[in-house]
Amino acid sequence: MQQELLFKVLVIGDLGVGKTSIIKRYVHQIYSQHYRATIGVDFALKVLRWDSDTVIRLQLWDIAGQERYGNMTRVYYREAVGALVVFDVTRASTFDAVLKWKDDLDSKVTLNHGRPVPAVLLANKSDHLASQQPKLDSFCRENGFVGWFETSAKENTNIEEAARCLVEHILNNEESPMIEREPGSLVLSGFTNATKGHLNCSSCVKQ
Amino acid sequence: MAAEELPSEFDVVILGTGLVESVVAAACSRVGQRVLHLDRRSYYAANWASFTFNGLLTWIQQHHEESQSEEVQDRSSLLEEGEELIYLCNSDSASISNLQVFCYTRETHEEEEEEAPTPDPDPADTTEVETSADGDNGVKETSETVSADSKEKETKDEASDEKEEEQSQAPHTDGEEPETAQPQPPTAPSQSEPVRKKISYTHLVKEGRRFNIDLVSKLMFSRGSLVDLLIKSNVSRYAEFKNITRILTYRNGNTEQVPCSRADVFASRQLSVVEKRKLMRFLTSCVEETEEQQVYNGRPYLEFLRDQHLGDNLQHFLLHSIAMVTEDTPTEVGLTSTRHFLRSLGRYGNTPFLFPVYGLGEIPQCFCRMCAVFGGIYCLRHSVQCLLVDKNTNRCKGVIDSRGQRISCSHFVVEDGFVSAERKKVATPPRSISRAVLITDASILPSDSDQQVSMVTVPPIAAGSPSVTMVELCSATMTCAPGTYLVHLTCQSVGSAHEDLSPVVTRMFHTSESHDQDERPSVLWCLYFNMADGSAAQVEGHDLPSNVHMCSGPDGGLGHEHAITQAQSIFDKILPQEDFCPPAPNPEDIIYTEEETKKEGVEEEEEKETTKEGEEEEEEKTNEEEKETKKEKEEEEEETKPLKEEHKAIQPEELWRAEVLDLLTQLVLVQKEAAQHQAQVVQLLGMLGTQNSQQIQDLQNMGRHQSLLVENHQALLLQTSRIANHLHDITKKPAAASQ
Repeated sequence: MQQELLFKVLVIGDLGVGKTSIIKRYVHQIYSQHYRATIGVDFALKVLRWDSDTVIRLQLWDIAGQERYGNMTRVYYREAVGALVVFDVTRASTFDAVLKWKDDLDSKVTLNHGRPVPAVLLANKSDHLASQQPKLDSFCRENGFVGWFETSAKENTNIEEAARCLVEHILNNEESPMIEREPGSLVLSGFTNATKGHLNCSSCVKQ
Repeated sequence: MAAEELPSEFDVVILGTGLVESVVAAACSRVGQRVLHLDRRSYYAANWASFTFNGLLTWIQQHHEESQSEEVQDRSSLLEEGEELIYLCNSDSASISNLQVFCYTRETHEEEEEEAPTPDPDPADTTEVETSADGDNGVKETSETVSADSKEKETKDEASDEKEEEQSQAPHTDGEEPETAQPQPPTAPSQSEPVRKKISYTHLVKEGRRFNIDLVSKLMFSRGSLVDLLIKSNVSRYAEFKNITRILTYRNGNTEQVPCSRADVFASRQLSVVEKRKLMRFLTSCVEETEEQQVYNGRPYLEFLRDQHLGDNLQHFLLHSIAMVTEDTPTEVGLTSTRHFLRSLGRYGNTPFLFPVYGLGEIPQCFCRMCAVFGGIYCLRHSVQCLLVDKNTNRCKGVIDSRGQRISCSHFVVEDGFVSAERKKVATPPRSISRAVLITDASILPSDSDQQVSMVTVPPIAAGSPSVTMVELCSATMTCAPGTYLVHLTCQSVGSAHEDLSPVVTRMFHTSESHDQDERPSVLWCLYFNMADGSAAQVEGHDLPSNVHMCSGPDGGLGHEHAITQAQSIFDKILPQEDFCPPAPNPEDIIYTEEETKKEGVEEEEEKETTKEGEEEEEEKTNEEEKETKKEKEEEEEETKPLKEEHKAIQPEELWRAEVLDLLTQLVLVQKEAAQHQAQVVQLLGMLGTQNSQQIQDLQNMGRHQSLLVENHQALLLQTSRIANHLHDITKKPAAASQ
C-alpha cells in the first residue's frame, strides 16, 4: 500500500537572504530576480515521490516577508517537523542571525518526544562567491543543525540536496515511536475543505 | 530579526494584538489595506494570551513589578503646521489587579529522581515573599508556613527551563519566584493518599511548556459568531478544536452531569421518565416564540420555569446550565440564551461548545497570521507614543511610534488600555472579571475517560456571591501536562478574585486549607487575579478623532459575540464598502506563473459554484456524492500538475502554451461534467424530499428546516415514550394516563 506523508517545513532566516527564491526554485523550478512579497499564500507544496511506496507532500512555509521583524506567531511554528535556516553568504549579519532563528525555532516548537526539529543550514547566494568558504561542519555540530549546504537559487545548486537531507532526517524521526496526536480534534471548514486533512496534521500517515 | 526602520505609510495602524484588534487587522489586510500591527508587549494576544507555565510565572512577575512609566518624550518637534498631539498611555497594568499565587504541592518528590542537574550561578533566593508582597496589588499573606528549603533546586530548574522557553521574550530576571507562599499540606500526601502520588512543583516547571494557560476563559458556541467567522474567512485552517464533552453543574455539594442533548436526555439516569418527557417538551417548545412566553416578558425567567411545573432538577439545569443566567434574569433574556444554547447543540458534538487545541490564545494569533500572509507587518515590543491630529478636521493623520518615527495612516485602531482614562467613556463603577486558574491532579467528576473537557456551572454558593463558570481542560486539549488538569474559574467580580472564587475552590477541591481527606481533586498550584471587564468599555462617545477606533479587552461572557460584533463594526466604519473577511484561497489551489493564475481564477470560480450547489444540499445526504466528486477533482489535479511541469521544462514556449491551454480546457470540461452530475444529484434529491425543497434555496432556510426535522424527531420519540408510559401506566394506574 502506498503511504502518503505530509510534512510541514519552515523556511526561516533574515529578510532578503533568498527564502522565497529557494522555495520557488525548488517547488516551481523558476527563478526571478524580482519577487513581490508573497501575498495570500501560507505555504508552497512540493510533492515528492520518495520511493515506490512513499509519496511525501512537503509544505514549505515561508515567513511571509511581513513577519520579518522576527515576531512569528505560534501558528507558524506549530507542528512543524523540520526547518531550513537560510543566510546570505554575502552579508555577515544574516549569518549572525542564524542562531537567533535557531533558538527561536527550538523555543517554540519541538517534536512530540521533546527533541528539537531537524534543521538544515543553507548558505545561499553561493554563486556570488569566487573563493572557497570556510566549512561549517563544526558550527553545525555545535549548534544542532543536521547539515549544511552552499546553495544558489539562481543557479539551482544544492537545493534539492538540502531538501533531501532534511527529509531523510524527518523520516528518521518518524520511524522512532512518536506519541500519536490526539485523535478526534475537529477541523472547522467551509466549502473549500478538499484538503482539510492535509493542513493540520503534520505527522499522520495517509493511505 | 534585524531591527530596521518601519515603512512610514500605512492605511491602518493597529496597536494591541487582542482578539478584536487581530480580527480587524486580518479583515483589513485581507481586502488589500496596508496594515501595521504593533504591540508594546513581547507576546501576542494581549489579555487574550495564553502562556506556558513558565511564561505565566514571568507574566505574574511582570505584573508584580512596579510598572515604571517611561519618561514621556516630547514629540512636538515632529509636529507640522495645523497638527496637535494626543499622547497614549504607556502602561496597561490597570487592566490586571489583585494577583495572588498559591502553591499546594511540594517542591520535589522524595522518590523523584532529579535528572539533568543544571549548573546554578545564583544562590538560593530568599526574597520572593517580600518581592510579591511589595507589589502594589496587596498580596495576601497566607497563614501557611513558607517552605524555603529546596528553593535552590527549584530556582535552578526554573532558570534553565525559562532560558529555553523565553529566549525571545522580554528580559527576565532569574530566580525571583512570584509565589506568595509555599504551604505544606497538613499531612504528608504519601500517607493520606496512597494511590494518588502528588505531582511536585518541580515537575510542573519541568513540564512547563506543555501548559498553555489562557488569561481569559471562554468557550466557542458551535453556531456562535466566532466559529462562523473562522469558517467564513478560512482562518479556521490555522487551528484545531475539541468538543466540550460534557456539561456539569455543582449542586447540593455534588457535581452532576447536565443532560442537554437528546442523546444525553434519554441516556440520563438522574432523570425520571416524567422528567425526561417534560424536559424534551420544554426544549422543543422554547425554540419558537409563543404568546405564552410573551406574557412573562420582564418577569424573571425562574418564574416562567416554575410555572412550567418542571420540578427542581430540571429548573436548576435549565436556569444555570443551559440558559446560564441568574435567578432574576428576565424571561425574554433567559429564553434568548436558551435558544442560543440549543441552536449550537449538535453541530459538532454532544454539547454546544468548542475549545481550540493549544488554548484560546491561539485564536488572535490565527487572525494575525492571516493578516501577515496578506501583507500586514508585525512588530512586537513596539508601541505608539502619540497620535498626530489635524486641528481643522479633527482626524488622526498618523502616529509617532516609540522610536520617534512618524508613520502616516488613515485609520488608527487601539486597544482601550492604551487610551488614557480621561478620553474614554466607561461604565461606572468600573466592572471587572474575577479569575482563578488551577492546576489539579484529577478530574472534578471522574469518568470512564480521563480526557473529558467539562464546562461546570456553579450557582451562587451563598446569597450575594456570584455565579461561577468553570472550565476543566484535560491534557488532550494541549493546555496542560499529562496527568494534570487545568481548571479555569470565571465570574463577574463582586469582591477581589480571591474573595469571589476561593470559597468555590475550597469547596470543590482539596487544598491544604481544607483539612478533611476526600476524593476531591487536589489543587497543585493556583492563581487568582481580576481583569477589567471589556464589556464595560464603550466603543462610542470617546474624546477621540473620528478615525480612531477603540477596541475593548475580553468581556465576562462565555462566548465571543461581544468581541466579534465589535470587530465587525469597527471594520465597517473603516471600510463600509468592503466584505468582512472573505474566504482566503487555499494554498494548495494557488499556482504561481502569471498566465496560469488568471486561468486558475476562472476555474476556481466554477469550482466554487459546484461546491456551493453541493453545500446547499442537506449535508448528510450529499456527503457521499461530494466525496466522490472531490476525489475526482483531486485526481485530476494530481494528474495535471506534474504534466504541466514536465512541459515547462522540455518544450518551446508556444507548444507548451497550447498544451497547457488544451489541458486546461479539458479540465474545465471534466469539471463541467462533474457539475452536471452534481446538478443531477440535486434534482434527484429534490424529487426525493419534496418537503425539503425550500432548503436548496438558501442556507438559512436549511438550518430552520433541519431544526424542524429535529423537532419532528423529538416529537416522534416523545410519542414513543408517551406510548410506553401509557402502557406502563395503564397496567398500574389507568387514571394517570392522560395528556
